[in-house]
Amino acid sequence: MVRVTGNFQKESPLHPKAQGALLAAFDAGWADPRKLCASSSKAHHLRQEALESIAFQLSLRADEIEILGEPLMGHFLSIAGLATSSETKIFFSATSRSEVIATARAFQPVELPVDIDGNIECSPYDGEGVLSLQIANGETGIVSQVEKISKLFPSARIACDATTTPDVSLMPARWDSALFDSTSWSGPAGIAVLAIRNSKEWKNPLPHIGISRVPQSYSLPLLLSSVVALEAWKSDLSEDLRLRDLNTQLRLRIKNSITNCDIAGDLDSSLSHISSFSFLYCHGEELLRELSIRGFDLDSGSACTSDDLAPSHVLAAMGLLTHGNIRLTIHRGTTAQEIDSLANAIIESVAQMRAKN
Amino acid sequence: MREVDSRGKRCPAPILDCAAAIAAIAQGESITLLSDDPATLPDLLAWARMTNNSAKQTSEATFLVTKK
Repeated sequence: MVRVTGNFQKESPLHPKAQGALLAAFDAGWADPRKLCASSSKAHHLRQEALESIAFQLSLRADEIEILGEPLMGHFLSIAGLATSSETKIFFSATSRSEVIATARAFQPVELPVDIDGNIECSPYDGEGVLSLQIANGETGIVSQVEKISKLFPSARIACDATTTPDVSLMPARWDSALFDSTSWSGPAGIAVLAIRNSKEWKNPLPHIGISRVPQSYSLPLLLSSVVALEAWKSDLSEDLRLRDLNTQLRLRIKNSITNCDIAGDLDSSLSHISSFSFLYCHGEELLRELSIRGFDLDSGSACTSDDLAPSHVLAAMGLLTHGNIRLTIHRGTTAQEIDSLANAIIESVAQMRAKN
Repeated sequence: MREVDSRGKRCPAPILDCAAAIAAIAQGESITLLSDDPATLPDLLAWARMTNNSAKQTSEATFLVTKK
């Protein structure tokens, strides 16, 4: 029997074109673009081209984007930059990323509950504040009802968390800041794009050094590689439809073959390439190990797989089962045969584990 | 009422203990589940939804589970 090996973790190898560009970028973009010498001038030129390309690919203006070398800090910059004082109310979904929740807690946090489909349930609020709007959830793939939610907060400034997808068609019409992560388009880790649409309302919340709006501590070669990955991602959007078909098949197989299983969200209102399954009476860590032995690497939101032994706050907020959870990302290039083999492995592993219990 | 002590156990053990105890009682009867695992509350509520039983938290580490 041929052993199939598949990566269904959130992380993926660099896009091959970005990998190729990376070495060349280290060769050409090593100098400090802010200095006055020939090599720096070349680096400056490369950086400007990169900024213009990113702006074009993300339908932004070049002058409204900043590059960050620390994506997780970007959540703080995006939200806190729009807050006027420590008394500012920060509204966020109960399924928001931990970094967003941590940032909100530095101000006046207002958690918005979600239903079992991951949709925010709240009353309109006409006061001021900052609404942190998650475009799509990284654990479940569920796409937020951004227009509906933003209209419930007509006077709030909006900080978009777009770190799960560079698909700007999912953004609301009105927003003030937005954060994108290079890894969402198979670019290198350690590069984020902070877009500041409303520059009059955004202030750098960090101690100011120089005249730049954010710390300029990113790697230019990584940025150049990220640009190549984003261009490749945008040039092959048809792959998205194929991944949606594969995900549909996988969800159907699991749903029809395994009883007592929670599948997070409806695929019609989710990103095409993410799924989260929770199997009653199964141990998340053991399930991950069993699937790994069978050649498939996945992620899990179960408490037994987390550093702090706490269950996924996303699944808990939705009222879904947190134990026996596996979540998977279907990367571009994944074949139908790999999905079929993965489905078989999940079905067999769950049956085996339940028989043991 | 039967008491099931799952304190010190981690997910999914408290839910497995609860399911075994519920299987041994009649419809309409209840058990008390003791568990200090932070995953028990969300998982017990999800278990009750999936198996058509009822469960509620009565104190920090105590849950009342009724077979329907």
